[in-house]
Amino acid sequence: MNVDMKLLWDKFIDALIEKNGYKVVLEGLYNTIQIAVLGLLIGIVIGTLIAIVRVMPKYKVLPRILDKICGCYVELFRGTPMMVQLLISYNVLLPLMGISVDSGLPVAIVVFGLNSGAYVSEIMRSGINSVDIGQMEAGRAMGLTYTTTMMKIVVPQAVKNILPTLGNEFIVLVKETSITGYVATIDLTRAFTKLAGPSMSYIIPYLMLGVSYLVIVLLISWGVRSLEKRLKKSER
Amino acid sequence: MEKNLILSVKNLTKTFDKLEVLKGIDLDVYEGDVVAIIGPSGCGKSTFLRCLNCLEDPTGGSIIFHNEDLADMKVDINVHRQKIGMVFQQFNLFNNLTVLDNITLAPITVAKKNRAKLKTKNFFIKLGNIFKKKEAKKPLYDLGKTIAEIKKDAENKALELLTAIGLEDKASSYPSQISGGQKQRVAIVRALAMNPDVILFDEPTSALDPEMVGEVLSVMTDLAKRGMTMIVVTHEMGFAREVANRVIFIDDGVIVEENEPNEFFKNPKNPRLKDFLSKVL
Repeated sequence: MNVDMKLLWDKFIDALIEKNGYKVVLEGLYNTIQIAVLGLLIGIVIGTLIAIVRVMPKYKVLPRILDKICGCYVELFRGTPMMVQLLISYNVLLPLMGISVDSGLPVAIVVFGLNSGAYVSEIMRSGINSVDIGQMEAGRAMGLTYTTTMMKIVVPQAVKNILPTLGNEFIVLVKETSITGYVATIDLTRAFTKLAGPSMSYIIPYLMLGVSYLVIVLLISWGVRSLEKRLKKSER
Repeated sequence: MEKNLILSVKNLTKTFDKLEVLKGIDLDVYEGDVVAIIGPSGCGKSTFLRCLNCLEDPTGGSIIFHNEDLADMKVDINVHRQKIGMVFQQFNLFNNLTVLDNITLAPITVAKKNRAKLKTKNFFIKLGNIFKKKEAKKPLYDLGKTIAEIKKDAENKALELLTAIGLEDKASSYPSQISGGQKQRVAIVRALAMNPDVILFDEPTSALDPEMVGEVLSVMTDLAKRGMTMIVVTHEMGFAREVANRVIFIDDGVIVEENEPNEFFKNPKNPRLKDFLSKVL
């Protein structure tokens, strides 16, 4: 195949700058970051709550019921592809509830949050279990409640232990946003596809798309590493 | 002299699955008592101590504290635990908090919670007062200190306590930055910050380097002299002899012998105690 890279590059620059394509790309970038960040935040909140329920002592009936519900939630969201969850939410649940939206963005954020909640709960659970049982006992022995000790003592230490794994989850989320184009969201992938559309030349846009994801992910890894270093200072 | 009864344990039993660890223990602890509990490992002395503040739920029997039975699952154990300090073998300082925050966390949290409860009560009183005549209006609760004052007071008290053990310069250090002996002294101060009626010590010097045992024991001796009620599970026979006013020997889940320290060490009556003492002394 004989490809004139110079010509393709000129076409790409033309679409990106002359035809204001950069606006779409920036919108896509913004949405991708937004979905991943908000998704992770929702995921951390949901995941932490689920993890706490799942490690709670189960003498009483209520924790046992909650544990079962949380178990079902985790299995449901881990057991189906995120793509399917998105399609069902957008094309089945929304019409059923009689809600119409212009953009799939809110749906994407919520689905990403719910999905990541299931994964974060398992990560958080192992993190909580990695904290010495004595920390909980010391808190309880002073008359603090289970929840207070959990939130002020155990979870902060657990988060420190699982930070690399959480960073990993964030990276997964960023990359998974590439499927949100299927539910009417302008994400990074969608933006570059649009950019290439008029000229039908996908080579440069898709290569640049790959590079963009790579750069974002590298930035996140670097951020997580430096955060880890900073948090380590309080210990050791 | 009549002494106040602080803690009264009656026929306490504890079973793990099928293993019977405590087989009925009776113990009355009076104000100012320093009770040393000794015994071979696995005899149930740590379990007994942990049952006293329900870190292990007792299987049977009763623990009367402040006129309530702690062994009863319906009792709000958190309220009572605030008045029962505990010092652990492994220190268990909160690794994510500075020394100062370790000490102030519980006092601040508890004071804040009580204030919030009063606030809620006041809200409902106000709500009720709307429909009452001027003279029938119910008075509001006094909230006492503001949250800023609560924090300030707790910090001042913590610093005061730290100064007393010579660790005021470590207030902003993290537990990982101080030595084992310092950790255990901070742990004792942390328990003291709640103004407990009794402090439980679970082998407080067993995890320490030998050279650090002395500094911890001297803090405990100080406490005993100032009249703090203490129950100490220990392997330090010297401490039991010099500081405690009662020594208890637990073997196989029951109290085998109890006496004042001089008699206890000089004239042990029970053969198992004699055997134990001959090995450790």
